[in-house]
Amino acid sequence: MNGSLQISPLWLLPLLLVPLVVYSGLRMLVSVGGEDSQQEERDWTVPQLEFTAGKSSPVHRWDVRFKLASILLFAFLIVSLQHVQTVGIALFIAFVSYRIAGIPWRRGIKRLLGMSGFLSMFLLMLPLTAVQQPGDLVLVFGQIDWLGFNLRGLDLAILIILRACAVALLMEPLLATAPLPTTLAGLEHMGVPPRLTQLLLITHRYLFLFVHEARRMQIGMEVRGFRKSTSLATLRSVGNFIGMLFVRSFERTERVYAAMLARGYQGRWPQSVSFSAGSADYLKSVLLIGLGLLLVFCDQLLWKK
Amino acid sequence: MHQLSKLSPLENDKDLLMKIEGLCYRYPDGTPALEQVALQVRAGERIALVGHNGSGKTTLVKHLCGLLSAQQGTIEYKGKGLAAEHLASARLEIGLLFQDPDDQLFGHSLYEDVAFGPRNQGLSEAEVELAVRQAVTSVGLDELLFKPPHALSYGQKKRAALAGLLAMQPEMLILDEPTANLDPLQEQIFIDLLKQYQGTLILISHDLIFLYELCERALVLDGGRVHHDYSLRELVEHRPSLREHGLDFSFRFAESRQQTLTIKDERREVDRGGNPELTLPASSLIVTRDLHYRYPDGTAALQGVDLRIKTGEHVSLVGENGAGKSTLLLSLLGLLPFAGDYHFAGEKIVAGKGRLVWQRTGMVFQDCADQLVCPTCYDEVAFAPRQFGLKEAEVKELVESALNKVKLDGFSARVPLHLSGGERKRLALASVLSLQPQLLILDEPTAGLDPRGEELLLEILRDIDVTLLLVCHDIFFVRELTERTLVMHRGRIALDYSTKDFLADKNLTTLNGLDYTYRNRCALQIKELQHRHEHAHPHKHLHEHPHRHAGQLHSHPHEHEHEHPHSYTHSHDKSGAHQHPVREEYHEHGHPDHERDDHDHSH
Repeated sequence: MNGSLQISPLWLLPLLLVPLVVYSGLRMLVSVGGEDSQQEERDWTVPQLEFTAGKSSPVHRWDVRFKLASILLFAFLIVSLQHVQTVGIALFIAFVSYRIAGIPWRRGIKRLLGMSGFLSMFLLMLPLTAVQQPGDLVLVFGQIDWLGFNLRGLDLAILIILRACAVALLMEPLLATAPLPTTLAGLEHMGVPPRLTQLLLITHRYLFLFVHEARRMQIGMEVRGFRKSTSLATLRSVGNFIGMLFVRSFERTERVYAAMLARGYQGRWPQSVSFSAGSADYLKSVLLIGLGLLLVFCDQLLWKK
Repeated sequence: MHQLSKLSPLENDKDLLMKIEGLCYRYPDGTPALEQVALQVRAGERIALVGHNGSGKTTLVKHLCGLLSAQQGTIEYKGKGLAAEHLASARLEIGLLFQDPDDQLFGHSLYEDVAFGPRNQGLSEAEVELAVRQAVTSVGLDELLFKPPHALSYGQKKRAALAGLLAMQPEMLILDEPTANLDPLQEQIFIDLLKQYQGTLILISHDLIFLYELCERALVLDGGRVHHDYSLRELVEHRPSLREHGLDFSFRFAESRQQTLTIKDERREVDRGGNPELTLPASSLIVTRDLHYRYPDGTAALQGVDLRIKTGEHVSLVGENGAGKSTLLLSLLGLLPFAGDYHFAGEKIVAGKGRLVWQRTGMVFQDCADQLVCPTCYDEVAFAPRQFGLKEAEVKELVESALNKVKLDGFSARVPLHLSGGERKRLALASVLSLQPQLLILDEPTAGLDPRGEELLLEILRDIDVTLLLVCHDIFFVRELTERTLVMHRGRIALDYSTKDFLADKNLTTLNGLDYTYRNRCALQIKELQHRHEHAHPHKHLHEHPHRHAGQLHSHPHEHEHEHPHSYTHSHDKSGAHQHPVREEYHEHGHPDHERDDHDHSH
């Protein structure tokens, strides 16, 4: 039996504003949390283990290979959870590991902000589009009976959002507690092909340049009056822009490769990272993976209806 | 600091480092790039590799460090052909600095990048660290050791790229346009570093003044062949050669425009007292008051810029790299969310919304590739008029006029990507002139141009009658094109005076460390060389020395023709030929064995 509840159509308005409210709230948090830290130039004479407050944290000291394996596995386990309660606990664990790593909140909130636009749409779209099943409670907005707000869809949206937030927060302790070359070296030790890790390293470096070049070209077009519109002329201009960006990037790849060869590159990136795992690394991995398995167990057995 | 335990260098019995014979290279499309190049490079030599764009300089240096292999001919490094194992070892001893530093800064941080070469050399991690720290300190970037390369300024990137090579302690260093786009301070740092470098140095540059400071030997390439191989001094002395190879920068010796200001120009002189009023006089094109801008990372880029530029004024904006010049330009274009008041042609400009400005302003970027996006030159120049909705007939007229102004008639169907550096710069200029702007902004217009390109650009810019805002490190262009100079320093306009006063300002170095007069001094030295040098040709002397007539030995003044070298102070005509004083002079100098020559003259 489906249950339905008549509510005023005016409720549609706040619902439509949900994505905007979530986005604005996170934005506000970012701006409040970030005003103090950005005014001074960092001390670049020391290695940037980014977030110096937590550089001696257990997460920083964790062997990268173990950290990668454990956190990635834990992330997969979180994604497999089916109930809001267990996902909520997983999110709490993600928060705790984030705090242990000593990473500023602003960074995490920024990451969530980046996802918020997409995720908050779930809050609206899933309840409105979920197929009605027996036992669903549907809110109907006055006379608009074809537009039911299915609360099961809302549950599903919340579940997806919580999972995404938990995994996103875990990415910070995973990626921000060791330099990227070290993390990639860890991946290589775990069997990821060196070509792939080198590609990732170079991509990370040149992504900034690519964005910068694209921005400069965009400015070059804007100051000559370019304005996007739904016209063939815009399509042609954008096509030219992308084509030129591609040509420039392609030419750069050739020059970068030549520069690497000229400095003695012979197909293998010279490594300086060495790994040595201790009992603490094993213990941390066992703890995190154990927690993940426990959550899955609880999710499947204890709360299974 | 002590020296590293460097890898033992490859065996080399003699001081001959590189030997090239009969080197030929053709591009995949069949275009010849190098033709029968023969060359020897000895250890410790300092060579200037010069020539037109497309003369084969870059292709040659790519062969020198084994990035291209010889299609025909041989290349030997320390007596062995550059191949296989020897090539791998040679690459660790030959450093190549690319023109664009971003091409060779591929590390995650400056440290990682500089360490790339030493690690490839097989040094231990402790030795790598020492090599990195030494190299980074030598280029003055030790405070940025762990900064990501993308966050460095352009000048810092150039130095970082050099550090990456110096850390490998190369025996040979090849640098491609090392000082392009650098401010005078960064350029001086480069000169000092290269003067200290003990190995073999090969420099590719259009900047003869820079080369003159560092090199002894000049290798002139033309059409893929070695056209001249002589001392750099001989090259700079010989104007016809310089002109032939697009290196003649003697247009810079012409009388200063400042000294020949016309009455019309004088009228452009502006009152510069106090803060600009917001009730604008009709002639004010740009007025800003208390303009501020802060980058997202918190860096204050503009800190209260007050500026007024009148219609028709020609203003230059100078300052060290990072002084805020580019940020100010972007703010004036309405592209950045600045704080403060900004009026353009009497209308208030809202931050981030600059369409009104764009319609009346043309900006030529430092890297003209940033504004060339179309498949043909015609489309490129037509881009702006089309965006503003002009009819195609009108667009055609504007395009032809703009191409004509920049001397690119007949280039309509050409592909911008295939043009030379100078042509692309002029095309970028045409692409903004087609909108007939009120204000023309030029950001480092001479970057990457050879002297011939500079001369042509100067000629074009002199003929364009618009309000001009020139951002430039090249003091000659500042002098020639503008009558007012703004000196930016740390996000503020620190000085605002006439270009004449700017040129005479002896205290500028204390403000921002930039010595703009240095290049002028070097240029004058070369000018002196070009006009006062030694050369040989037949000429007449009236002189006195003992000589014989049959059995009679006597001495008296007499005149006849000799051919021997002299140091002359003289002028050169447009073709570069010497113009000596007509007057015959009596002078004392040795004429070896001349006393024994037959002397047949009347007494």
